[in-house]
Formats: sequence, structure tokens, C-alpha cells
Amino acid sequence: MNPLRKLFKSSEKHFTGSGKFKSMEPLFDATKTFFFLPSPQNKHTPFVRDHLDLKRYMSFVILALLPVLLFGIYNTGFQAGLAQGMNYSFFKAFFIGARYVVPIIIVTYAVGFFWEILFASIRGHKISEGLLVTGLLFPLTLPATIPLWQVALGISFGVVIGKEVFGGTGRNILNPALTGRAFLFFSYPISMSGDIWVVTKNAVDGISSATALSVMAPEGETIISTLSQAGLNLSNLFLGFVPGSIGETSALCCLIGAAFLMVTKIANYRIIIGGITGLIITSLIIYLLPGGQDSWMNAGPLYHLCAGGFLFGISFMATDPVSAPGTNVGRWIFGCLIGFLTVIIRVANPAFVEGTMLAILFMNVFSPLIDHVVLRQMTSKRVPNV
Amino acid sequence: MENINTKKKFKPARGGMPDSSLIQLPMPETVAVSAMDIPYIRPKLLVKENDFVKVGTPLFCDKRNTGIHYVSPGTGRIKQIVFGERRRLKEVIISLDKTDQFIQFDHFDSDHFDTFPKTDIIKMLQKGGLWQCFRQFPSKDTADDTHIPPMIIVSLNGNDRFSPHPGIVIEKQISLFKSGLKLLDCLTKQVIVSARSDSMGKLESIKDHITHQVSDVYPSWDPGVVLYKLKTNPAQNQSWCISAEHLILITQFLLTGQYPVKRVVTVTRAQDKKPHILIRQGAPVKEIVGNFEIDTLITTGQFNGRKVDLDSHMGFFETHLNVIPDNAEEEMFGFILPGLSKPSASRTFLSCLTQTPKEFDCNSHGEQRACINCGYCTRVCPVDLAPSFIMKALSSDDIEDALSFGLWDCVRCGLCSYVCPSKIELTQILSDGIDAHYKDKQ
Repeated sequence: MNPLRKLFKSSEKHFTGSGKFKSMEPLFDATKTFFFLPSPQNKHTPFVRDHLDLKRYMSFVILALLPVLLFGIYNTGFQAGLAQGMNYSFFKAFFIGARYVVPIIIVTYAVGFFWEILFASIRGHKISEGLLVTGLLFPLTLPATIPLWQVALGISFGVVIGKEVFGGTGRNILNPALTGRAFLFFSYPISMSGDIWVVTKNAVDGISSATALSVMAPEGETIISTLSQAGLNLSNLFLGFVPGSIGETSALCCLIGAAFLMVTKIANYRIIIGGITGLIITSLIIYLLPGGQDSWMNAGPLYHLCAGGFLFGISFMATDPVSAPGTNVGRWIFGCLIGFLTVIIRVANPAFVEGTMLAILFMNVFSPLIDHVVLRQMTSKRVPNV
Repeated sequence: MENINTKKKFKPARGGMPDSSLIQLPMPETVAVSAMDIPYIRPKLLVKENDFVKVGTPLFCDKRNTGIHYVSPGTGRIKQIVFGERRRLKEVIISLDKTDQFIQFDHFDSDHFDTFPKTDIIKMLQKGGLWQCFRQFPSKDTADDTHIPPMIIVSLNGNDRFSPHPGIVIEKQISLFKSGLKLLDCLTKQVIVSARSDSMGKLESIKDHITHQVSDVYPSWDPGVVLYKLKTNPAQNQSWCISAEHLILITQFLLTGQYPVKRVVTVTRAQDKKPHILIRQGAPVKEIVGNFEIDTLITTGQFNGRKVDLDSHMGFFETHLNVIPDNAEEEMFGFILPGLSKPSASRTFLSCLTQTPKEFDCNSHGEQRACINCGYCTRVCPVDLAPSFIMKALSSDDIEDALSFGLWDCVRCGLCSYVCPSKIELTQILSDGIDAHYKDKQ
């Protein structure tokens, strides 16, 4: 017998029934089922079941996030080097990036799981796999310089208010990771918005560096020329060698993740394609409108697509099935409106340079309504059977 | 002939498909009439243990309509009357005598059924234990004899992907089948005969009678799905359905006056190619399945059957046994293994790249979680329902919403439960919702 299996078997009695650590049963159960996938015999028809379960479902989102995460770590170090006028080698940049990013991830998972286990123990349900994804999505939306206590505060808000008060994974209205980020964004705007602090070696005095979306062109110049002067040309924005939140900078990595999710059908392609379409159409219309030469109004679809966190948000946040609509038509509407709102917030509201987060949260709130309308429309087409 | 197409693409590779040969099972020691596969029945026993019965002796009737009899398929003594939970009748077991004696019912000399009064035909079928062949939508309860159905759907294929091939079942009884269609013409205005596209090859002789050809994607050939695709007005929701082999039994009965007892069944087991088996109705499962490994589970349909145990007998409506292995072993890191041999409707296993048949087992492969709204159930539903939304409406006791979403179109095919990554018992919940509402209405 597998020694690990033996260990679980021998310690099981302490965690179940009248064992000493009965209150820790959800934790024990989560650890055990992580290693050994439970597969009891089915009790109801159909007596065959698909091999896909929620653990695998969520693990696939993690897999899709790996390119984003690895690039994010590298870019954090790379930007630190750039800010100090040095060109770090690949490994050095990666190592420096990891020193900042890994603690954020560890804190997120530790604090997130603390809440998850607490609620699971009190309510007596199993620990849900949803946190695996939330716990990786949340750090990737943060700047690398964020203080760890803020990370802990943000994920606490996201998990407790964003999810657990509604009854846990599957019952939340808003995306928990984005809820946590929105909380930090409004509570600690200095460490979150506008100019993102780029980490330096000792991080005591970071160096401020503008993100693409906070750039405004001076009088008489166009936004695109100003952007390229600041090193924010389209190819850099697409590849991701620009300052910004850990995970959002590389459009390429986000697209790789999005393609993986769409091919495996974990994320619904309607949301991603709909979102990108909505963004392109809206930005094109605004581009063609006269005026606004110096602002993001005149940036055009490609810049809107590659700058900021839009591709990250639409690929990984908007496709969270729980907070998105459950009907196919609803998903198209949901995606398109996120793209539309993102551009509108970016160009029309100078207070919030990044529109994606707010657009997604806003549409999360509306997704039950979209579903309601779409379902009514769908049922009206059926031959009534009551 | 018209085609009924489906956009649904769930089509697992066909492992364990039965062979097209036919063997006869030797006379079993016992046969039984099962009440487990007759929906909504409230049985009233008409016999006691140790009574002597002939083929055609009524064993029990339905309390809701005591004229509808369920008759013995064998001659001998009642060995045992088995009750299940809450004293629900499970089956009446008869130990068979060597020789068969038949009860002689009234019969017709020709198949010109339109010359006889309709009520007589119905009475004869009810007494002869064959009225149950007619099922009425949307609940699929025994047909209401006072109701004139707007449509009767004759389905040539059984409930499972590997149910007996219609060509083999009706091979030598084509004239009976044609007479049966004449009978249906007396009962309704519109008769639909539907067949799966891949069984058309052996059905040349009755090709002219098949009105609709359905695609080969499970469960397109289910009469409920055919009805959903064809219906144009709400009155058609009360259509009837009957399977082709039952139609043949009915005509045989009406023309001979003897209760027909021969049935064709199939057994599927992974990596095995078993022939079709000719059995006596109600034969024991043990004898049909043959050598039996422990750690397996037997159902009467891969996705929509009930679980049967070795000591039970085949039901009247059941023509298929599916032997599913049990892999109770908890797999290490099962959630992230590539899974080349794991069947899945999703694209998260490498197995989606190959077309080789994969072995199904009877395990859940995960634990139940809250619905995450992923929409996998909607994707496979043959009648375009959104099972997750209906499930939520039912769990908040909102039956009106559930009905308006189309709950009664559900054909209980089992695909929603099969694909659900949260392992929610969707089919069970929907099915219970239908039953509760139906019993409420009665």
C-alpha cells in the first residue's frame, strides 16, 4: 500500500467521528482528497459519470495561469532592473521577481484558506476548490510592491464578503478575486492605482513608473507618440515588458491562457470573444469620433487591447462561470458589455484609469438579470408544456 | 422519410457493442413480473404465494384503474412475492413448470382492426396485460384509455445505445409489425415511426413505414426527444408512445389470443461482444448475464437504467443489461493525470484526442459541490433544457418556473448528471420534480 495512503488511513480516526481533531475534519478531508481523488459508487441513475470533476476543472484554470504567472515574476524583476538602469540577466530578474511575488501568493493562499476552512468547519461542508483559482488570480492583479498586510486584508474581504456571506463557491454574485482587488483599490489607492511602484532591490524606496493607461499626451502630441516615447510601444505592450500589476502586463501570455481555456472548454469562448469584439468595436467608434487626440480616446483598438488588464480580466476573471451568466446568449451579451464598458470607463472617467475591473464587477451584478431575460426569451420559443 | 437532426455532439466511442447474432437462453427455473419498471403504478395483488398460474393469469392490477392487468409470463406456482422499501411491490416470482399452459383470450381472425369497436380492443389489451405498452406523455404513465392521442410515436430503438437491434427483433415478424401499424391508425390520426440512422441497414423491408430517421447521437431516438422535435402545439404534449417490439406483441396477442412471452435482450460489458439473446419475458438477470465478476454493477441502461441485482428478473420494459465495473480505488493525484483512457464529454483529458472505446465505470470520480453554472448540462441536453436552472427553481420550490423552463419535456436521459463536474444528481432532481408534480395533479 502507498505509504501516504497508509498515513491518511491511520490518522483518519482522529479527525472523524469522536476523534480529537473533529473540528479540523474539513482540512483533513481537503488534504486527503487532494492526494487521493474520492470515487464512490454512484447511488442514483445514471450509474456512469464523467471523469471531469471540480478539482480538475479548477486545476485547468491554474494551468492556464502558469504562463502569466511565470512571466509576471520575470517582468517584476526585469522592471526593477530597468528602473535602476541595469539590465538583469534572465535568472537574476526571475529570482528578484520571485522574492516579491511568491510571498504575495503565499499570504493569499494562507489567509484565503484560513477563511475557507473556518467557514467550512462552522458550516460543516467540504472545502471548495474555488479558492485554488481565486488565490492565484488575486495576487496577479496586484502590483508587486503591495504591502503583505494589504494582501491579507484584500483576500479576506474577497473571500468573506465576496463569497462566503453568500454561501460559498457557486453562490457568490461577484468574482471574489476582483472583489478583493476592488476593496484594496478604493481603500489604498496610493499603492494600487495610477502610477505603479516598480520594485527596487530593497523596496524601501520604490521608483514610480507610469503604467500605459495613466499616460496623457502633452498639448499638441498624440497619445501614441507619447506612449512610444515612454517605451510603451505596441510590441512592448503585447509582449508585456512594461510596468503594471504582476499578471496583467503580457497580452501574449493572457492570450495563450485564454486559448488553452477555450480549447479545453473550461472557459466559455463566448465571453472571451464577445469581450474582445465589444472592446474593438467600441474603441474603434471612439477612435473615429473627432477630438481627444491627446487621450486614450484616440488610442485605437490595438492599444486598448494590449494595455492594462483587459485581456487578463476577460480571459480569467470574466470567464468565472459562477459570476457570469449561465445562458449562451447571456454570455455573448455579458462579454460584449464588458468590452464596451472597459473602453468607456477608460476614456470617459479620468479617476479610474483601469476600467476592466469595474466593468467586470458591474456586469457580474447584472448577469442574473441577463440570464433572467434570456431564459424568458428562450422559454417563450418552446411549445408550452405545463 | 424525414430526418430529425440534432446539434448535440455527445457521442462516446462504442465499446462493447453487441454482436448481431441471436442465441436462445434455455428455459429458466423462475420468471417474474417486476413492478419496478412500471412508472407510477400502485399495484394491487390478485394472487397469493403458492397459487397456480398459467401464462396470462393476472398477477396484479393497478389500483388507479383495476381493469388494467399485469399477467404471468409463465406456468407454475407463485414462488415468492418480493416487497421492497415501504412495502412497495418489487416482483412476483413464479417457479416454472415443464409444460406451458396458456389462458385463451378473445382474439380477432384478421387484422382489419378498423372493423371492430375501439373500446373492445382496449378492453382486450387491458385484460391481456398489454395495455401498459402504450405510454402517455409527458409523464410516460400508462396511457389513459379515455384520451384520444394526437400522435403515437413508434420507436424502433430501445432506451440504451446498445439496446437490441430493431432488425433482429422484428426480422421474422414484419407482417405483425405492419398489422400493428393498422391498429395504431384506429387509435390516432398521426402515427410516427422513428428509427436510428445506423440501424436503417437491416430495416429495408419496412423502410416505407418509417416516417422519421433520427441521428445516431444518444438519446435522439428516445420517443420523448422525437416528440420534442416534432410537436407544434401544446395538445401534442399528451401524445402516446410505444416501442416497435411491444407493438408486435400486441398484434400477436390480438390475433392469437395468447399472451406472447418471447423477448430479445442484449448484454453489454466493456471489451466484450455478446450476441443478442432470446429470452422468456421476466427471465432472471443472473442467467442472462452469465459469469459474473464481483465489483460490478448491473443496470438496465448505461445512462438511464435502473440498478438491478443478481437475484432480480427482467422487467417488461427492459431489453438491455449493462455490466459496469466498479473501480473503487482512489487514484493518487487523479485530478491532474493526463487520462488517456478516461471517458469524458469534456476536453480536459487526453482521451478526447483518440477514438478508441473507453471503459465506463460506476464511480463518481469526485465529490458533490455547489453548482458553478458551467453550462455543461445545457450543452448535452437533447431537448434544449437548462437543467441547472430547473434544478435551482425546483430547490427553491418554484414549480411554476421549473415548468415554464420546460421541465416536462425532460426525457430523463441522464446526460446532465453524467457530465456535471459538480456531481449534482440533476437527473434525479428533475425526475423527482416531474413525479411530484404529476402525483399532485392526479
